[in-house]
Amino acid sequence: MAKLRVIFENGDPERVVEFDPSRAPFHHDGRPGSILDILLGHKIHLEHACGGNCACTTCHVIVKQGGKQLSEATEQEEDMLDRAPGLTPTSRLGCQSVVEDPNAEITVVIPRYTVNLTSEAAEE
Amino acid sequence: MSPSASHTGSRPVRTARVERIFDHTSDTRSLFLAPVDSGRVRYLPGQFISIAIALPEETRTRPYTIASPPAWGMPFEICFNRVAGGRGADWLFDRKLGDSVEFTGPYGTFTMEAVPTVETIFLADATAVAPVRPMIQHAATASAAPMMTLLYAARSPDHILYRGEFELLAARARGFHFEPLVLPQSELYERLGAEAERRWVRGDGDRTRQFYICGVGKGVIALRDLLRGAGYERRAVHYEQW
Repeated sequence: MAKLRVIFENGDPERVVEFDPSRAPFHHDGRPGSILDILLGHKIHLEHACGGNCACTTCHVIVKQGGKQLSEATEQEEDMLDRAPGLTPTSRLGCQSVVEDPNAEITVVIPRYTVNLTSEAAEE
Repeated sequence: MSPSASHTGSRPVRTARVERIFDHTSDTRSLFLAPVDSGRVRYLPGQFISIAIALPEETRTRPYTIASPPAWGMPFEICFNRVAGGRGADWLFDRKLGDSVEFTGPYGTFTMEAVPTVETIFLADATAVAPVRPMIQHAATASAAPMMTLLYAARSPDHILYRGEFELLAARARGFHFEPLVLPQSELYERLGAEAERRWVRGDGDRTRQFYICGVGKGVIALRDLLRGAGYERRAVHYEQW
């Protein structure tokens, strides 16, 4: 079984999900077996304004452990991450990063405010 | 917390009322939405809103591009089509005049934040012209509008949306060229790619242009790779893959 530990920067209680990656998809948004798919399938909320289609950055997560056990980021994901606020070297989009290792142990932080800079800038 | 709020995190949920419905074709529709709080929705050309689709078993979050330019004010327009198994679009097709729709946003980074100062090329297919339309209208009305070309492919003449509007703009706005292409669905991206290569890759050595590409599937990525591979700056090739 793989394990996904989720730390919420806003102080919400930490969650740990154990799952079998081969049973993906767990929900219907994001790439099957992605962090977004896993969390939604276990009733843990992660924003995904674009429906998990790599068209926004609201599912931005920071990988603290197990980054190499995730699928490699595509150019499309990297292009999108370029626009994410609070970008770090281990930032990923939850909808695109797929857990591939059946024994993966991954820890992610969900930033306090996954602001979409463009939209926020457009608001008064 | 309402079902929709649980799907949008801490973002404010707004409600809009369907003020007008326009059918482009039997499978493509625009809804004109007016916020019930009478406020404006402030957005950049190319952005989308996220609508809470209340299905019997759950609420799903689905994005819908704002197809009207910001300068046109409220109501704003979303344009969408039916897709096989697309329950969000089915739900939207069921909305009637006066119905309410809950949404958050705007969102999205496929935007035109400033009017380009260089020649700008738009490549789109069918309803994927939705984010491109407000960009073109926005740029065309600027005091120093750039040279612009819209190469727009669809599988039938009816699926060339906003045709009259683009033709009128091409007639009135100096420097805007509108080129619709009607092709079998399976050939859309092959042709767009061939045209892009002939005109803007092999056609000259100018690599200062900007591109905005929007469409469905891997063809969008192939266009991106063609242009970036030809020497256009990564950030000059904007794209959104549906």
